[in-house]
Amino acid sequence: MKETPLIPEGVKRCSKWQFSLWMAAATAVLLWGVYAMFLIWYKGLNQTNMNDAYGFALWIWADLAVIALGGGAFFSGFLTYIIAKDELKNIINFAVIIGFICYSSALLILAIDIGQPLRGWFIFWHANVHSMLTEVAFCLSCYFAVLTIEFIPLILENPRISQKPFWHHLSHNMHGIMAVFAATGVFLSFFHQGSLGGVAGVLFGRPFAYREHIFIWPWTFFLFTWSAAACGPCFTILVTWITEKITRKKLVKDNVIELLAKISGWMILTYIIAKSIDTLYWAFVTAPDRGFTLMDFYASPTYNIGILFAEIILCGFVPGLILITRKGRENKFLLMTAVVLAVVGVSLNRWVMVLQVMAVPMFSFDDWYTYVPSWQEVATTVLPVAYGIIVISLAHRYLPVFPQEKELNPID
Amino acid sequence: MKEKHSNTPAKRYGMIIDLDKCTGCGACMVGCYAENNIPFKPDETNKLDSINWIRVFKLTNHKPYPETEICYLPMPCMQCDGVGKHGHSPCVSVCPAVATDYNYDTGIISQIYTRCFGCRYCMAACPYHARKFNWWDPVWPADMEKYLSPNVSPRMRGVVEKCSFCFHRYQLAREKAYMEKRTDLAEGEYQTACADACPTKAITFGDLNNKDHAVYKLKNSPNAFRLLERLETNPKVYYLTTKKWVRKAGDNYLAHEEPETLKTRIKEHH
Amino acid sequence: MKINRRNFLSYGTALVLGGAAGSMLTPAPWKLMDDLAIWTQNWPWTPVPEDGPVSYKPSVCTLCPGGCGINVRLTGGRPVKIEGLRDYPVNNGSLCPMGFAGLQYLYNPARVISPLKREGKRGEGKWTPVSWDEAIAAVTQKLADLRAAGRPESVACITGSDHGAMDAFVSRFMTAYGSPNYIRSATAMDAMEQAIDLTQGQQGTPVFDIENADFILSFGAGLLEGWGSAGRMLNLFGNQKSAKKLIQIEPRLSDTAARATQWIAIHPGAEGALALGLAHVIIKESLYNKYFVDNFAFGFSDWVDETGRAREGFATWVKAYGPEKVSGLTGITPEKIMSLARDFAHAGKPIAISGRGNDDLPGSMDETLAIHFLNALVGNINKTGGVSALPETDYAKWPEINIDETASKGLQQARIDGAGGDEFPNTRFLINRLPGILLAAGESPIQALLVTDANPLYALADAENTKKAFDRIPFIVSFASFMDETAAFADYILPNHTHLERLQVVPATAGVARQIIGLAKPVVKPVYDTRHIGDTFINMAGALGGFVAQAFPWKNYEAFLTESMGNQWEELNQKGRIEIDHSLPDPMAFAFNTTSAKFEFYPTARSTKRQAGDSALPTFTPVPIEGDPNRFKLTLIPYDAMRLAGGDIANVPFLTKILDDTVLKKQTGFVEINPATAKKLGFKEGDSAKLATPKGEAMVRVHLFEGIMPDVIAMPRGLGHTAYSDYLSGKGTNVNALMGSVEDPTSGLDMAWGIRASLTRA
Ligand SMILES: Nc1nc2c(c(=O)[nH]1)N[C@H]1C(S)=C(S)[C@@H](COP(=O)(O)OP(=O)(O)OC[C@H]3O[C@@H](n4cnc5c(=O)[nH]c(N)nc54)[C@H](O)[C@@H]3O)O[C@H]1N2
Ligand SMILES: Nc1nc2c(c(=O)[nH]1)N[C@H]1C(S)=C(S)[C@@H](COP(=O)(O)OP(=O)(O)OC[C@H]3O[C@@H](n4cnc5c(=O)[nH]c(N)nc54)[C@H](O)[C@@H]3O)O[C@H]1N2
Ligand code: SF4
Ligand code: SF4
Ligand code: SF4
Ligand code: SF4
Ligand code: SF4
Ligand SMILES: [Mo]
Repeated sequence: MKETPLIPEGVKRCSKWQFSLWMAAATAVLLWGVYAMFLIWYKGLNQTNMNDAYGFALWIWADLAVIALGGGAFFSGFLTYIIAKDELKNIINFAVIIGFICYSSALLILAIDIGQPLRGWFIFWHANVHSMLTEVAFCLSCYFAVLTIEFIPLILENPRISQKPFWHHLSHNMHGIMAVFAATGVFLSFFHQGSLGGVAGVLFGRPFAYREHIFIWPWTFFLFTWSAAACGPCFTILVTWITEKITRKKLVKDNVIELLAKISGWMILTYIIAKSIDTLYWAFVTAPDRGFTLMDFYASPTYNIGILFAEIILCGFVPGLILITRKGRENKFLLMTAVVLAVVGVSLNRWVMVLQVMAVPMFSFDDWYTYVPSWQEVATTVLPVAYGIIVISLAHRYLPVFPQEKELNPID
Repeated sequence: MKEKHSNTPAKRYGMIIDLDKCTGCGACMVGCYAENNIPFKPDETNKLDSINWIRVFKLTNHKPYPETEICYLPMPCMQCDGVGKHGHSPCVSVCPAVATDYNYDTGIISQIYTRCFGCRYCMAACPYHARKFNWWDPVWPADMEKYLSPNVSPRMRGVVEKCSFCFHRYQLAREKAYMEKRTDLAEGEYQTACADACPTKAITFGDLNNKDHAVYKLKNSPNAFRLLERLETNPKVYYLTTKKWVRKAGDNYLAHEEPETLKTRIKEHH
Repeated sequence: MKINRRNFLSYGTALVLGGAAGSMLTPAPWKLMDDLAIWTQNWPWTPVPEDGPVSYKPSVCTLCPGGCGINVRLTGGRPVKIEGLRDYPVNNGSLCPMGFAGLQYLYNPARVISPLKREGKRGEGKWTPVSWDEAIAAVTQKLADLRAAGRPESVACITGSDHGAMDAFVSRFMTAYGSPNYIRSATAMDAMEQAIDLTQGQQGTPVFDIENADFILSFGAGLLEGWGSAGRMLNLFGNQKSAKKLIQIEPRLSDTAARATQWIAIHPGAEGALALGLAHVIIKESLYNKYFVDNFAFGFSDWVDETGRAREGFATWVKAYGPEKVSGLTGITPEKIMSLARDFAHAGKPIAISGRGNDDLPGSMDETLAIHFLNALVGNINKTGGVSALPETDYAKWPEINIDETASKGLQQARIDGAGGDEFPNTRFLINRLPGILLAAGESPIQALLVTDANPLYALADAENTKKAFDRIPFIVSFASFMDETAAFADYILPNHTHLERLQVVPATAGVARQIIGLAKPVVKPVYDTRHIGDTFINMAGALGGFVAQAFPWKNYEAFLTESMGNQWEELNQKGRIEIDHSLPDPMAFAFNTTSAKFEFYPTARSTKRQAGDSALPTFTPVPIEGDPNRFKLTLIPYDAMRLAGGDIANVPFLTKILDDTVLKKQTGFVEINPATAKKLGFKEGDSAKLATPKGEAMVRVHLFEGIMPDVIAMPRGLGHTAYSDYLSGKGTNVNALMGSVEDPTSGLDMAWGIRASLTRA
């Protein structure tokens, strides 16, 4: 009997050697990161250039950024399963995979980032319910479990696996209840994205980060959820586009992308309006109350007012406005420019909410703090990228990720 | 953040540092190192990875020679009460593992080294940079391990530490009082190592709630101020100085603001 | 039921899930979690200090001449913390940071842990540990050979202090052995002492009764930066009444200046001119103490000497120092000079203190005399709250010392350093002249050098030259506890115990008005194979035999103390101190031991051989500090800092840890520079620069500080060590090495207060 092929039926994949070469390159980068990771675990955080002023640095940014970008998964899930935007079924698999990569990376980064990795679970064991980080840890772990559950049925659809009846049935049954998990995921995501915003927003000792509260939540709580929902799908679109370029194939129909882009556009626009109001209130009420002017926060060569312009205008209003217009969405160049700007914008937001918070001097007799990451930090931050490339490559090669692929790329 | 569970009236231990008396000698820092088994490295010149539970800053008024003035400002952990004194200090509220906690009997913010897993969120939260991370494993060269005090456990790498107001000294004083069947401590019975070490007696330590303690009166001096009061961290460390420029350097002010005119708004929260 | 693949999986899954759920109901997983929690808390290489019963041992700190009372906390016999001894009269419980860091001296990685014999080249750092017997035999063999050759005077000894019982012990050894070359390190007290001796005929430790004075006019003395007993001074500052005034005169806003009632910025080196200017105003306005000057002073008014020659008195002499002229010399306005003079004269108990920084360098005799005259003008001499000299008390009864012919011949030789000779009859020690003399001679006049308590290869000016000079000495023995620069250059090291391991009688340091003799007791058994320096000298004397051995009849140093102190030993041992009050009521206090039996404004005993103008009266002649001002456009002055040990005891890790990052960054030290000067030279904060003086060059960084006079740059003493351990060695620049020494014409003491320098882009 001929063995069932590993590669899904009806699609074309590159040759084995081509794939191996590609994987080898990604693996080399991955190993560099893994080496740095073990170095850090073995020797401690002195391998980084963090210090007592920069207790949060590149990694925490990377963490916040991948979680924001991974937000495409929960928001697409929300749109697909709860709002029932059926077109999005054609991209939801990929959104889930990207989310899975992002969230597993986030957890890995946290495991490297903490000073006592073996005690990482104390966050659950000795949980402080008042801490935003506790909320983050719980929701993050739960949501990662949800993403795993969402990912499993897709893995089970690999032809060789699904030929076994048990896996086949399991996959089928799981698909049936996926909406429940998607809803759970949406709920969890809403909270942990918000809590991540809360991480910075509750720091009442840090006027650059601190925001006024609504009930127990600082404004940043809502802004983070909102921005992740807005920009996460852009990241999904971006990665899809890159995958299409690399595989030299169209994988998702334009109408699907454009729908996602349109929703994203409106989310970005409303987000950036809220963000602007927040910024104005902060600049004119919150900060002066604590003796700071807005310009005090942007008085260093690195952190000048250009950052705020870039975040709000260039990477906020501009992509938002492009994406809500049909012309903008239909023009490939404009669409991708907007998508890239949105991705940069949300990453920049996470950057300032982590690193600029640390850089701003607190005392009149203090100076701006500076920080340049060590190679170990860079390597471990690149590690998830290599890991993501590997997972996507494997998934694309062996799993039926894109339902429209067959239709769009008929084999003879 | 457990709830209060004690019958004796709550104390709020605090410190008053008279900046006009401080000569910047650094004895408080060394006294603290010696008391609290603080580690050191061959190179301690990067002050951002140098563990100091109290650090003496040198401030200048930046006026040209010879109008220049300098003032030394020792900075331990402010033992922030936060607004409303519910132990809502910037650091305690954020620690996900309750590795730092507010003690309702004393108002002292503890740090539990063996529970801390090194996420450094508390450091990000503390505006005073009072928290220090153990980037390295501590190493005591030659036979220096022999002088370590059993009262304070040496810390391992990967955890945060900070000034404890020498809490072990409080515990020892309490134990002694208990053995002598007393319920309360006299003013001098519990003193921090830095207050003890200060050769000019610039540091006064006691219960801010106790009318008989020197700190009670000193904190109400017109020359008293606290660092970054406007952040509503509500510190229990107060400073005294007759120098206006120093008081102004202790917080952030907009161009038109003067510390004196803002005093009412930022008075201690009761 | 058939077990097929499908139901095997189902049952299996059910079994696993059920089992998992079930075991969650047992304590096992929770216990395991807890164990895991505890396991992660263990960090086996983090020490767990041993516990034990707590006790306290009082003693005296001898890390510097300060002599503060300390209370050492022990846990199970292990010293764990040094605290101030509350009722000790010198310091009342206050200690300087060095005192608190004491245990880091005890267990320091730079300690010499056994006697060492040099291998390889000098200073190469190759040593062989030898036994005490071997070391003492080798050293005494050398000393015996030199005596046998009839050259005992070619053995010299450099010590750090000369007023303790131990110092007398060393000096006695030198006498019995037959060498006059007992040389003490220099301090500002050398000049002060000489000024008091010349004007009052009193030999002793200068006393500044700051406790009881109410107006302190300090000509740059680093009163809050380690001067005298730092513990005492800090305690006094903390307890002072607000009525007490401290006026600090210096070109740099030092920590003392910052805490003074008033800081008066002066051109560097012009302190003597200011003192004469103040005297001018006080005399012109008749503000001086007429009772004292009229009854107990000589040379104030014009006089006629025994040859019949008319002589100018001090009052006439200072007419040349009017406020306008002095203003030009000092940069202080005439108004300020006049008001300062009036404030000083009107104060109840004013004292003027000379000597820059921590009194490490003696300074000019003219300047010291001029400043001391201010004290005489207000009559605040030998009084409570005034300036006086504390006589050396003979608390120890020394047995008669016999010397043989060799020793007698040796002792009659002139001192190598020229002190007490024709040129410098009033000076007792001139260590600053040694390098020049060693380099000039054909054969080194010192054939063997013993060094205790001093680190001349670090402390003396122009390190490179000094090292060359010392290399000419064939045999160097160090008694240091730590591998300091001089020990590293020695042939043998016979390590002393540290301050916490040895028994020692400690007289209070200069400045304290009462004689306070404290007892430093060992608080811990010697940690390493070291020996009390007193015992070492007894051993050496024994090995030399003859009269030298006879001069040291004791079993050990402790026996010497108990026997020679007689019934005072009991009191000292019990109370930890003896106090002797020397204060005398007026007018007995004014019974001076000079030729005129008065306070001599004209110090008749002063050598005027090398003094221009044939007068013993102090003038102001700028000290010719080294360097061509066209090439070296800046002036470098050293300063002392409380956080840096600048004397023969160096920083331990805790002290270096408290240094600001504007003093030391990584391995590079900073110079302070005025922002205006920095701008002129194109430097920004933290920039690297090459510092050059006529004596050498160093890489530094610049720290912009408004409190330093434009065109003057300052650098702290105490960095730039080449010896000790990684915790100190190679950090910063030794400012002494870049300085030059300028001989005072009448005392021979070093009077350089700075040197010309340049800063260029690195
Ligand atoms: N250019 C320049 N010259 C200087 C200085 C400078 O900074 N620059 N510093 C000057 C200063 S301040 C000083 S203090 C001196 C040198 O140094 P000093 O500070 O006067 O010496 P101490 O530190 O008091 O003595 C402590 C040392 O004495 C030894 N010791 C302990 N007990 C005894 C004892 O009973 N007898 C004897 N003989 N030794 C004992 C121990 O080995 C210990 O190392 O150098 C002076 N010269
Ligand atoms: N933090 C900090 N503290 C320090 C220092 C530091 O660097 N940092 N430096 C320390 C050092 S090294 C010093 S030197 C001190 C300064 O303190 P000083 O008081 O200058 O100490 P010495 O120079 O050792 O003084 C020795 C004393 O012996 C006296 N003497 C000399 N010959 C005779 C004599 O024949 N008879 C009598 N009766 N007395 C005599 C001298 O007058 C002098 O007072 O400050 C110390 N404190
Ligand atoms: S000073 Fe910092 S560490 Fe101390 S209580 Fe306040 S926030 Fe916490
Ligand atoms: S570093 Fe330690 S003390 Fe600080 S927040 Fe994290 S677990 Fe808590
Ligand atoms: S109170 Fe204690 S722990 Fe805090 S700085 Fe002072 S000595 Fe150190
Ligand atoms: S010990 Fe006292 S005088 Fe010295 S720096 Fe500390 S507070 Fe200031
Ligand atoms: S001043 Fe001198 S004697 Fe006093 S504590 Fe400091 S080092 Fe010791
Ligand atoms: Mo000294």
